Amino acid sequence: MYLESNLETLMALYQQGDFTAAAALIDRISPQLHRFFAVQPGSRPHADDLLQETWLRIHRVRHTYRLGEPALPWFYAIARHVRVDHYRRSMRATAGERELEIQSGTVAADHDEQERAHRFEALLAPLSESQREVVAMLKVAGMSLEEVARATSSTVGAVKQKAHRAYEKLRKSMSAIQPRVQLRTGSGKEGTDNRERPGD
Amino acid sequence: MRDQEIDDLLNKNAPAPLAPRPELLERIAASIQPSLRPVRPLPPAWILAGGLILICAGIAVGGAARAGFLGVEKMDMVQRLLIFPALLVLACIVASRFVREMIPGSRRRVSAVALLALGCAALLALFAPLYRDYHTDHFFSVGFACLVTGFEHAVPAGLLCWLLLRRGFAVRSVSAGLMAGALGGLAGVGVLELQCPNFQASHVLVWHLAVVPLSSAAGALVGWLAGRLTRSNAR
Repeated sequence: MYLESNLETLMALYQQGDFTAAAALIDRISPQLHRFFAVQPGSRPHADDLLQETWLRIHRVRHTYRLGEPALPWFYAIARHVRVDHYRRSMRATAGERELEIQSGTVAADHDEQERAHRFEALLAPLSESQREVVAMLKVAGMSLEEVARATSSTVGAVKQKAHRAYEKLRKSMSAIQPRVQLRTGSGKEGTDNRERPGD
Repeated sequence: MRDQEIDDLLNKNAPAPLAPRPELLERIAASIQPSLRPVRPLPPAWILAGGLILICAGIAVGGAARAGFLGVEKMDMVQRLLIFPALLVLACIVASRFVREMIPGSRRRVSAVALLALGCAALLALFAPLYRDYHTDHFFSVGFACLVTGFEHAVPAGLLCWLLLRRGFAVRSVSAGLMAGALGGLAGVGVLELQCPNFQASHVLVWHLAVVPLSSAAGALVGWLAGRLTRSNAR
């Protein structure tokens, strides 16, 4: 019924108490949010729990969405808040406990996917938490600079700067390991996209 | 290595989209269904910002009325025409920003700390040429009394502002607290400008204007504590 509706329309209907619209939103947004949690090492093992917690939070504060505003950054801002809360809580946990959690993660897909996730994690290892988050939003979620700025409660300039610094770090670290990475990933010519380039 | 090559590597290695399990989505939908009622969206931002400014203006005028409007009576026309409109404009900017802090995914053009620093610098730049009495009589004793008076009015103003926006959701509680404190601080400065007849430049520039950063810092501290409390409750 709501397959063609945009997120903003669905949000308006959700605020009016329309369960079909709420279910459509859950189906439409959850894969993106789940991936947002899954691509970041700190939250990957808990992606399912974080997704549930995010929806509960979204449900509780759904009245704060304002008609006419883009809905995607609103969702991501809440998801990010849940993730940061989780990160701060997990920082207090002991390293050993974290290790155990990662080993028994609920997102454990097949072996190839785990391998891929580890490679991605290794690529982003030189970045700080906030830089990693910005790169994940821009490159994995495919959000624009403006959307990332809204989602991270930041300015477009700050996001550009973070992305630029992240790319500088990645350039340095990848230049050092480039031959090894190319062996693993092939020529590196596939998967090119035409999105706005943060480093530009 | 070019940006494009980095993009390619990231794209090739990014984990494939893992669709959450259908039963998880069903569970989420089922968990929100019982409490799915129509909700009233927040009013437009300009109404909320207007409410915040009314609160601050009310506190400033009400507070000054108790001690008398000695300050504004002693001011010349230029001082009156510059100081109060400047405070009003600054309050509008901070109120608008505070509203944005309480709505997730809002656009920000400048960080909260930068906005506060710019606001304080603007007030200093405006006030400095308007007060030309360079004596420093009873600098600490009189000045401290003014700081306390300003802060005493900033606290209820900040709390009432927070109360007005209680239906909002601050994803960055420290920034939201900072802006609430800054608004309260501007109300405090308003009280002092209306009631304090001490026009010594050092007194006004140090003790009156110090109310803004002081109450902002107190607001940020409260926001930080509120954030911690929320997190520990969630646990």
